[in-house]
Amino acid sequence: MRRANVTSGIVLAIFGLVMLFAVIPVHIAPGPEGVMSPRLVPAMMMIVVTGLAVLLVITNLRAERRSGPEAGSPVSRSALIALLKIGAVFALAIVLYLWLSPLAAGAALIIGALVALGERRPFVIVLMPVALLTALWLLFYKLLGTAIV
Amino acid sequence: MSALEYLFVGFQDVVDPGILPWLTVGVTLGYVVGALPGLGKGTGVAVSIPLTFYLEPVAALGMLIGIAKGSGAGSAVSAILLNTPGEPSSAPTALDGYPLARQGKAQKALKMGLYASVIGDFLSTLILIGLAAPLASYALMIGPVELCAILLFSLTFVGGLSGRSLTKGLIAAALGVFFATVGLEVETFVPRFTFGLLELEDGISLVPMAIGMLALAEMIVQAGDLRTLDAETANIKDGTAREDRVVLASEWRRCIPAILRGTAIGSAVGILPGLGASVGSFLSYGATQRLSRTPEKFGTGMIEGVAAAESADNAVVPSSLVPLFALGIPGSVIAAILIAAFILHGLTPGPLMFKEQPRLVADVYAAMICASLIMLIVGCTGQRVFAQVIKVPLRLIIPGVLLLCSVGAYMETGSIFSIYVMLFFGVLGFFARKLDFSFVTFLIGFVIGPKLELSFRQSIQILGHDMTNLVKHPIAVAFIFLTIAVVWWIGRGNRPAAAARHLEPDVAAAPHNTGTTRNQKGG
Amino acid sequence: MICFTRRSLLRAVLGAAVGVAGFASAAPADEFPAGPINMLVGYGAGGQTDLVARAAAKVISDQLGVPVNVVNKPGAGGAVAARDLMQAKPDGYTMLFHSNTVVNSASFIMERVDFKPDDFEYAGMITAYQVGMATQKDSPFDNITEFVAWAKENPGFSYGALSPEARLYMEEIAKKNDLDANIVPLQSGSEMINALLGKQVVLAFSGGIHYRYPDELKTISALTTFRHPSAPDVPTIEEEGYPLGMDSRTTIFLPKGTPQPILDRLGEALKAAESDANFKKVTDAADIPIMYLGVDEAYQEMEKTYAKNKEIIEGAGLAAN
Repeated sequence: MRRANVTSGIVLAIFGLVMLFAVIPVHIAPGPEGVMSPRLVPAMMMIVVTGLAVLLVITNLRAERRSGPEAGSPVSRSALIALLKIGAVFALAIVLYLWLSPLAAGAALIIGALVALGERRPFVIVLMPVALLTALWLLFYKLLGTAIV
Repeated sequence: MSALEYLFVGFQDVVDPGILPWLTVGVTLGYVVGALPGLGKGTGVAVSIPLTFYLEPVAALGMLIGIAKGSGAGSAVSAILLNTPGEPSSAPTALDGYPLARQGKAQKALKMGLYASVIGDFLSTLILIGLAAPLASYALMIGPVELCAILLFSLTFVGGLSGRSLTKGLIAAALGVFFATVGLEVETFVPRFTFGLLELEDGISLVPMAIGMLALAEMIVQAGDLRTLDAETANIKDGTAREDRVVLASEWRRCIPAILRGTAIGSAVGILPGLGASVGSFLSYGATQRLSRTPEKFGTGMIEGVAAAESADNAVVPSSLVPLFALGIPGSVIAAILIAAFILHGLTPGPLMFKEQPRLVADVYAAMICASLIMLIVGCTGQRVFAQVIKVPLRLIIPGVLLLCSVGAYMETGSIFSIYVMLFFGVLGFFARKLDFSFVTFLIGFVIGPKLELSFRQSIQILGHDMTNLVKHPIAVAFIFLTIAVVWWIGRGNRPAAAARHLEPDVAAAPHNTGTTRNQKGG
Repeated sequence: MICFTRRSLLRAVLGAAVGVAGFASAAPADEFPAGPINMLVGYGAGGQTDLVARAAAKVISDQLGVPVNVVNKPGAGGAVAARDLMQAKPDGYTMLFHSNTVVNSASFIMERVDFKPDDFEYAGMITAYQVGMATQKDSPFDNITEFVAWAKENPGFSYGALSPEARLYMEEIAKKNDLDANIVPLQSGSEMINALLGKQVVLAFSGGIHYRYPDELKTISALTTFRHPSAPDVPTIEEEGYPLGMDSRTTIFLPKGTPQPILDRLGEALKAAESDANFKKVTDAADIPIMYLGVDEAYQEMEKTYAKNKEIIEGAGLAAN
């Protein structure tokens, strides 16, 4: 975890500095005279984040020097694979939503997630999307009188 | 007729077969919607608005109040069983509720959650009925200046919720405030970080953000641990031993102070306009942890944590109707939606309604008390059903939850942009969990930050740019001193612990307990 | 939703091949409507405009005999919904029920919004917003002139504003009379009511919800060109010598290019709301006056208010575009 703390500390400090010196001055207008600047709160928060991130890096480096290196990362391989799998399923669903229809997107989301997580029984893969999407259709179009567009 | 006689007539009216079923429908609907991860109060209300058009006034109002009350109790279910709070205000419930469930004590945690919800809700309803008028006039004394001081005070509890590392908890809180600044600033109307996107002008909406951070991220984490978790699930002997199923007398003794404190905090937060249920449950959980003899055990399955969070969460709903009934001011989002429904059904909230329509008011009060009792019955039945979820393999649960998350996020704005927001915060929440940054403090920052900024801007104008005018606001001054006192007390009392957290940032992250403590606090 | 089905593409190709131009286009207007209509609303569910929209949807649905689905698409004061509407097919099956401020004032105030009256078609307008200045019942002034006199004696008073227009009014009045005003930013209508009842501000800009509190609050000025039906004795701001009246009404917007017969059909259906008992119940409950304008009048109203608001807002040096 110490290695990860150092890395995330460095990333956060860079994020804070980029926001402070590049993004905030360009993307937030200074605002009129006589009232609190709209830049104040975001800038304050980025100063806090940068400061604490540097502190995080220092304390963890010091702790590491004291107790020696450690093995393993807190973000395991299987966790990253799960993130990528679910990300891919969502990407597919969004593409289908934009090009085809919300219905296809919903079906892709459920079937994609089921398959990605290792479900192989065809019975489940067919029945679950049908049941869930029918329930949603009833809720939106029949009960609420609204539409998914 | 005296007030009690009216209430008696009210009960007679409510028990009518044309009303009681609708009340039950409302509570059940709210409970189910609250229990489903990704869906919350907002969805419940969206469902109900068109439905209540065709009902009798008392039935319609009872149903709406039932939904609001029921969803507060229901949101504990998904928080405890799946670690995916149905609403941001149930995030603290998950901190101790989920570890309890993984220890095979799901039934106990669910029961405690329900009892705390019902007690908090019931007492707060009594406060509403008995004290609406006198309390409301105090609520009016709380203007932006006072609110600013109260919010500052609330923030002093953030540190306590930051989990194993105070530094990382505070970073997360600051990032929460930062992301909440996106959108048009309210005083100057200057857009902040909108990058030309119209969808960002109103800021990042809480619902898709919270769904991503709380539910989606958790589902991705669980998908990564599928095998370990399913193996564990097979070993959980749910409900074999009696002490795992019921709340023991000794636990009741520990929890009752937490519940009463939670109810008091929740009721106070509800009465003050502009704070909201999340602030109530965060504050209550933080206070219970601070006052506990074993604060370090919170987050590993302390049943007081569940009791504190849920009692406060549910006490907010009835008490947020105090300013609505006594003055006609909506004190919460739910109250703001209710006001429109009330007027539509012929009851204009405000001091006059007690004089002009005492019977309708009595009916509404009776309906609220009945709703508390119905909540107990619905909850007891419901959690038997929902508790089975823990035995279902995760690969069947996760796809359904992902769909519900998408629907819940979509419904908030009716646009796919909300799905993008949900995905962004889902990924952020995933890394926050893995790297042990507390998403709870992130949420608090996100919720309190913008309110603090706005009330500070308002205070500057109200005080006429002159801080010496603060003497005209004694309540604000009192809270500022209280804040200083608490900061001093934390600094003095907790210094060794805090220092230890700084110097040994990952004492608790040893590999042997990654299985069950992995999802607690920020982890 | 961009959705080219294979069938419509085929039909378009066939239509071109046969040389019948109208073959591939939308169904003729005498058949309209043949299916459910989606009505976008640019505010969240449960708000005042949303309730009026749902009541209007009910009337239109009864008139046309097809379901009207209300779809809430909040964001940027309705600009998100209006932008989505512009991309919808001009076939009458997608419309927007919203305040016309999204065109006639947001265009000048919001940096990234620049709608023109000609960007849309209008099927009519149904209710008006009673925008005004509200204060506590016991305040020692009853109109702007008396308020100005009072304010000169009480410099540093607080005024609640929840929009750039709200600031504009006080800034213009203060500039003209050399007043010292503290403008308190407010986020919502309920926060405004709170600030007034709690006496945090002496005066506030209101979109009309203050009429719900007749025992605690009063109106001192109508910020419209007409006197408010809910307070016929209160003068408008224009009557008191400030040419700043800006009118806003709930309007049915349709994508540019929607055929005239469809607009007329929808306008007719909307007109039925004027005399519908249930619709009146909803608007009466919220003190919203019904002021119906038909298809052509709605367009003229749009043009007129657009030109006038542009002059007012640019004159105040506030315009963003």
